[in-house]
Amino acid sequence: MGVKRVALLAVLLTILAILVVIFFRSGALEKIKPPAEAPPPVLEPSPSGPVQMRKIVLFFLSEADTLLHPEEREINASSSIVRQAKQAVEELIKGSDKGYISPFPPETKLRELFLTGDGVAYVDFSEEIVEKHLSGSSAEISTIFSVVNSLAYNFKTIQKVFILIEGQERETLGGHINLSRPFLPLYDLIAN
Amino acid sequence: MVNISTDVPFRIQRGAFESRIIKSFGWSKGKDFYILAIRTKVRNFSYDYFTLSDPPKLVIDFSQIDEEKSETPDSLKQKEASRGKVPQPSTASPSSRAQTGSSSLQGMKTIVIDPGHGGLEPGARGRFGTLEKNVALEIGLKLRSVIERNFPSRVVLTRDKDLNVSLENRAALANNNKADFFISIHANSSFRKDAHGSETYFLSRDATDEEARKLAFLENNPAEFGEGITGKSEDEIQMILWDMAQSAYLKQSSLLAESIQKELNLLLRTSNRGVKQAPFTVLAGVACPAVLVEVAFISNPREERSLTREGFQINVAQAIYRGLVNYIKLYSQK
Repeated sequence: MGVKRVALLAVLLTILAILVVIFFRSGALEKIKPPAEAPPPVLEPSPSGPVQMRKIVLFFLSEADTLLHPEEREINASSSIVRQAKQAVEELIKGSDKGYISPFPPETKLRELFLTGDGVAYVDFSEEIVEKHLSGSSAEISTIFSVVNSLAYNFKTIQKVFILIEGQERETLGGHINLSRPFLPLYDLIAN
Repeated sequence: MVNISTDVPFRIQRGAFESRIIKSFGWSKGKDFYILAIRTKVRNFSYDYFTLSDPPKLVIDFSQIDEEKSETPDSLKQKEASRGKVPQPSTASPSSRAQTGSSSLQGMKTIVIDPGHGGLEPGARGRFGTLEKNVALEIGLKLRSVIERNFPSRVVLTRDKDLNVSLENRAALANNNKADFFISIHANSSFRKDAHGSETYFLSRDATDEEARKLAFLENNPAEFGEGITGKSEDEIQMILWDMAQSAYLKQSSLLAESIQKELNLLLRTSNRGVKQAPFTVLAGVACPAVLVEVAFISNPREERSLTREGFQINVAQAIYRGLVNYIKLYSQK
């Protein structure tokens, strides 16, 4: 009887050992597999394919008249709309290639840009846009509608633009134009 | 809606009445109009109206229709001329401002002058160090003297020295003084070195701005309602009143801006940048015709020098004054 018991125990142990081996091996296999096969899903541009570019139009001031003048730019189109809109605003601050005037204090930085479901882009600038601003009515209108028109013109999902400073709502840039509500684009200000 | 215009000062008087059609009536007063709301007991009625002279009187006749029996006209006296007569306290709201508060009744206009910026907030700065706040104050003070010398009116300044005044308080000051006109004075600045000339702004219409103006308007134009006109109807009447006032202010503001801009062009020899609309914070809160004058560019060295010259400042004050008075004579004096 004793022998039979030992034999049974040995069989059970063998089965257990096999199960353990299968368990660990399969686990190890699954851990190794995905990185080897699937491409990383987090990165937007496909590392192998060519980077897709698109043309956008930015609006700058000109010494010639009081209107906003279009200037084309190529931006990376394979990123999200928010990333593209950020590129557009950064290019606006960086300035024109054609000698147009950028209506921003050069020290201005874009802190953040986000887009709500109802088509309002919140564009958050650094304090310099207020501190170093010329703060005349015309200067404020140029700054505001350079951003608003450039964003609304190029991105269908952006219908209105709300300007923030250091993450906060501000009454005006320099005592004139009301910033406490989102702006619709004003295409009348654009030279054809 | 019945529109009646009259030069005759009038009052609305409530007497006891018995009617099968009219349940109650009430009225609300705008700056230059009244809305009369009549609540009826029945749905099927018609009305006709006519005026009588000596004394001038507006009569609205109501008659019930589709009723087998009588069609008795039901006359309701609404507006009764009362040249110079003081309304009896029992017939109107006990609040005295509803009867005597409006300066336009006596023909005296209240003009609020708002020199832009001030105190810690200098506004735009010229290359030679000229500050917008100082230029605006100088012109504002000169405008006050020229108005006071030449035109019987009440002039109020939002600031008469180098002071911080919030945009909200400037508008509130105008509303609390029951301003007939609000004129804000600024000097312009641009990223363009060559920008020059003068321009006059009025508010661009926007739902959010209107909210602020609506509140200011309703605070200053408390409606007087008869019994039976409460709650929902009261809100509806106030909305109609507000809409009428808002459209009227914008129209008046644009005409006032045109009138001032014309004189700036004539007197200053600065280039004409025209009349424009923009969402200025200070204009949004004001419940009366309101404009903002951008006198020349402080960012342009040539115009900066002009702005500091006393002769130029006097001309600016003179131009604004003429524009205002021309406007009042053309559109606002009855």
